[in-house]
Amino acid sequence: MSAAVIEWSGMAKRLIAVLVFGYMVMPSPVVGQTDPAAIMEQVDRLLRGDSSRGVATMEVVTENWERRMTMELWSLGTEYSLVRLRAPQREAGTATLMAEDDIWNYLPKVDRTIKIPSSMMGGSWMGSHFTNDDLVKESQLTEDYVVELAFEGDRDNVAVWEFVLTPKPDAPVFWGRLEYQVRQDDYMPIWTRFYDEDGELSRTMAYSEFEEFDGRLVPALMEMQPIDKPGEKTAIRYEELEFDIGVDENFFSLRNLQDRR
Amino acid sequence: MRNVPWPRLGWRNLERHRKRTILTALGLAVGFFACVFIVGWSQGIMNEMVESATSLVNGQVEIHDAEYLPDRTMYDTIGGRGGADIEGLLEIIEQDVAVIAAAPRLYAGGLISSGDATNAGMFMGVDPVREVRLTRFLDELVDGRLPVSGQNEILVGEEMARQLAVAVDDELVIVGSGADGSMANDLFTLVGVFRTGLLDLDATFTVMPIDVLQSFVVLPANRVHEIAVATVDPFGAPTTATRLAGALPEGGSPLEAVSWMELNPALAEYVALGDSVYGIVVAFVFGIAIFGVANSMLMATYERRREFAVMLALGATPRSVWAVVLSEAFTIGLVSLALGAVLTFPLMVWFHNAPPDMSWLYGDLALNGALVRPSLRVEYDFAFAGLTAVSLLVTVVLAALYPALRAGRTPPADTLSGL
Repeated sequence: MSAAVIEWSGMAKRLIAVLVFGYMVMPSPVVGQTDPAAIMEQVDRLLRGDSSRGVATMEVVTENWERRMTMELWSLGTEYSLVRLRAPQREAGTATLMAEDDIWNYLPKVDRTIKIPSSMMGGSWMGSHFTNDDLVKESQLTEDYVVELAFEGDRDNVAVWEFVLTPKPDAPVFWGRLEYQVRQDDYMPIWTRFYDEDGELSRTMAYSEFEEFDGRLVPALMEMQPIDKPGEKTAIRYEELEFDIGVDENFFSLRNLQDRR
Repeated sequence: MRNVPWPRLGWRNLERHRKRTILTALGLAVGFFACVFIVGWSQGIMNEMVESATSLVNGQVEIHDAEYLPDRTMYDTIGGRGGADIEGLLEIIEQDVAVIAAAPRLYAGGLISSGDATNAGMFMGVDPVREVRLTRFLDELVDGRLPVSGQNEILVGEEMARQLAVAVDDELVIVGSGADGSMANDLFTLVGVFRTGLLDLDATFTVMPIDVLQSFVVLPANRVHEIAVATVDPFGAPTTATRLAGALPEGGSPLEAVSWMELNPALAEYVALGDSVYGIVVAFVFGIAIFGVANSMLMATYERRREFAVMLALGATPRSVWAVVLSEAFTIGLVSLALGAVLTFPLMVWFHNAPPDMSWLYGDLALNGALVRPSLRVEYDFAFAGLTAVSLLVTVVLAALYPALRAGRTPPADTLSGL
């Protein structure tokens, strides 16, 4: 099966989870707090939220090609989301809708909507380095992982915490272990390392360019780096973001999915 | 030598106990039949498997870019990124004496959707005219016709058609990714449904014109993943592959010609295992028979102790007695062979030409990626039949050695005096 199978649904969820919900809740620093689970919950809350709308660009660099896509995203909680490509021009209008457990893709070239069963979410989305599990599973870190503080102190003159997250028994997660580095002063994540079930480092996600959107501090750039493909990466940059946009479930309809605007 | 009486004596002795002789010979004849027939049947199944695995969908030899296997990435086309003169390569390949047909192929993965149903699938781009000369799975479609070059027409397997609930003339949405990273999607018309009998293939494979698939995945016409080759003899495929590899032009991205034995080592090993087991079958069958013959010969010689004593008393040497017994055993062997041949070969001719079809009982079986129709077809293998015949004769002679030695050591005076 080619990696090309479009995993729109997953991407949308990921993008919304990472890019939109992430900035919904402004962390309130807790002076002196060193409870690892409580800190990770604060970081995790960056990935949760209410309604939002944003514009992001995704740049994918592979051994064989490079491409850049611009997309507009809407979300409502974790159950509803809509992602629509704005560029490149020939794919503009291509969109994914997730409503509860159902996922549809709209393909403007053929003017058809196809429904994707969740069992077919394997592989990468649009050739990016996001896997299906990134995109579809919305695991709540503190629910699915045991959080341990591995390091507390300065790294490159920045006060950070480093956490090791190991899956709880029976947790429905893909990774064998996660490691997070988080800035102490504003709870911004700096990097995440993903380890497979054999304990091998599989990829890293680096967060940078921390900017305020709609009055909230967020990492505007996230870069995914697969370890086994050194020259490749997927970078997502947030360009616009607004919160509490006042949409309800009716916005996330098949009619809106097919809206080419 | 004509005056040597031992064979005549052996034959005469056998005639004295016809029933025992016939029973012993029948045992050996059935052993001969079992060996030759079982091995012939096994070879029939092996040939069916190899034939199915190498001509149903795949070829017996595949020509790829040297980087193509094992990952089979979209970009490792024949001739590398620059492509190759595919028509020129086909011409060279088809000049080989062992090549029946050759056809280019392109592969890609993606989604096939109709209504609310969507399946993951493998798109196989083929030259319809060349492909039907190469493989069998498009020979008789369950429904519809072959796709036409230049048209967005597609075939799907019977199982995929069932899962998608589509029929000929229905519209399918095909989604994949282009070689440039773009999202490829288009509408196709279902023009036919094929059935290989292999569930995986029937559930996941789709077939479309190679030029259409090239356009769909944004690859030029000179880029294909594979040239599949059908040869006159599947078991000669490695030799043909080596010869083709030598004939292909050098320069550019290196090519490789790979036989089915490399592509499907499990099947090749299975066939090799079968060959190695045949000898064991012979050893078992005649290993059992040897005791029966030995028992029979021991009884025969014991009954004739006085006869051997008279021979020895009249001046015959122990060696002469051995010769009588061994001649007798050898004669039983010849009779057994005659009986075995009468039993075996007519049945082989029947089961070779009109094998009973057992698919009503088992249905078709998929083994090692090959479809096997469970018939009782047997293959002729005269070399193996010859080996079995020699084994039978060796068996009877070996079985008679001990009785012969005992007979040769018969004490004439004691035996004749009744001691």
